[in-house]
Amino acid sequence: MSRAQQANDRAAQFIIAQEEGDWDETSKAQLGAWLAECDGNKAAYWRLKHSWRKADRIGALGHGIMAAEQGNRRSRRRWWIPAAAAAAIMIAFGGVYEQWPQKFSSPHQTAGYETPVGGLKTVALSDGTHIQLNTASRVRTSVTARRREAWLESGEAFFEVAHREGAPFVVHVGDRQVTVLGTKFSVRRDGNKVKVAVLEGRVRVEELEDGRPVRSAVIVGGDIALAENAAMLVTSRSAQAVENALAWRQGMLEFNQIPLSEVVAEFNRYNTRQIVVTDADAAAFRIGGMFPASDPDAFVRLLRDAYGLKVVKSDSLIEISS
Amino acid sequence: MDDESLEDWFCREVLPLERSLTHFIRRNTRVADDVMDLRHDVYELAITGARKGLPDSTRAYLFTIARNHLINRAKRARIVSFDLVADLEAIDKDIDLLEAERHLDARDALRQVQAGLENLSPRVREIVRLRKIEGLNVRETAERLGIGKDAVNHQLMMGMKALADFMAGGPGKIVRPKLVRRRKKDAKP
Repeated sequence: MSRAQQANDRAAQFIIAQEEGDWDETSKAQLGAWLAECDGNKAAYWRLKHSWRKADRIGALGHGIMAAEQGNRRSRRRWWIPAAAAAAIMIAFGGVYEQWPQKFSSPHQTAGYETPVGGLKTVALSDGTHIQLNTASRVRTSVTARRREAWLESGEAFFEVAHREGAPFVVHVGDRQVTVLGTKFSVRRDGNKVKVAVLEGRVRVEELEDGRPVRSAVIVGGDIALAENAAMLVTSRSAQAVENALAWRQGMLEFNQIPLSEVVAEFNRYNTRQIVVTDADAAAFRIGGMFPASDPDAFVRLLRDAYGLKVVKSDSLIEISS
Repeated sequence: MDDESLEDWFCREVLPLERSLTHFIRRNTRVADDVMDLRHDVYELAITGARKGLPDSTRAYLFTIARNHLINRAKRARIVSFDLVADLEAIDKDIDLLEAERHLDARDALRQVQAGLENLSPRVREIVRLRKIEGLNVRETAERLGIGKDAVNHQLMMGMKALADFMAGGPGKIVRPKLVRRRKKDAKP
């Protein structure tokens, strides 16, 4: 990295840190020392600070800046929708949903939905699509005449997409997107890992780089696609696995000879009272069956009675050992 | 000359000339990647020199520094061409043409900021918008967008730098580190 770039980066870091609130005497001294190193550092710092201050002017405009964007279709598509959607994000459930001015929101319907841990919720979009949100999940949506989009920000959701000619439904999950015309499928996001399970119809899963799809796979009813970073695994024709993966829609968890450690991780998604397996022998136990997701007590009772595992309960924790 | 007056002079008198200065350097250097570094050097020399006393004409002062710096560098690189020297002599004509840009009124300045914002990638723009319009800090922005604080910091930095470039009349494109070639240290003074 060149000297100019280094100076610019460092200056930008200082300016950001200054605005953060935890700017104290130590940071101030660090900045002073760095500026005193050479006049080039001063040049970079003064220059960035100056233009960054000038950019404060847009703050005075408030949401008016959106209005300037309206004449420009392309930039509105690229920025306005995500910006509005992001701003409207999920506040709905905090009870402070912010209504956008009518003139901005009329051509679009953007909204955010979320569920707490253990929550299960179905929402209906204006186009007839239904989205069912699993535990601890967040989705925001944008529906227009030409394009229907949803962003799965965390958790898992089941989509029952109403067919509409010429208006694909796109689900964005991190750097992947799932495109459909009309089908039923679920998408789960777990950090970098994305899992798409299709109940009916066909969907296309694409991996994006800089906004352009670089790899894609078409998966059909009965398929499950597991994607992590650049890798994608498609397990085909396992209707049973898809049913298992979708049991949460009835508030149930279904397992087919899965190690206890993974079963416990599933339960912990749905409950704030976490289950911990304290030894490897117990963790390797294979479990099959169907359990209510919201009732970990019934599940650990079974572990104790049927498998003879030790269970220690407290208010916040359930410990399991062999 | 204290730093406060120097900063004031630098922002008021030097920065508005950035566009013509960049243009001048770009025309007189072979390596496009060097432009930013050379400009940085010129700013540094200008600040150091002005500490003894502010120049009467910042424009003449700045471009003299730029010309000398380019010639020194060319001499070291032993690639002085007649074109270069001839071009360097012609600087005074150039900069008068661009003098008008120094007189921006508040509305123009605002328009410039908006144009700069539109030039950013959607993600970076959104982060800058959350910072400037909604007043969110890095942590709040990270939570709102569901991304890490480091990512927010990084994109905020890129946005800040791209805005600075744009407002000074440059391309205002985000320069990502991977696109910038590493260069030899000895190419610089």
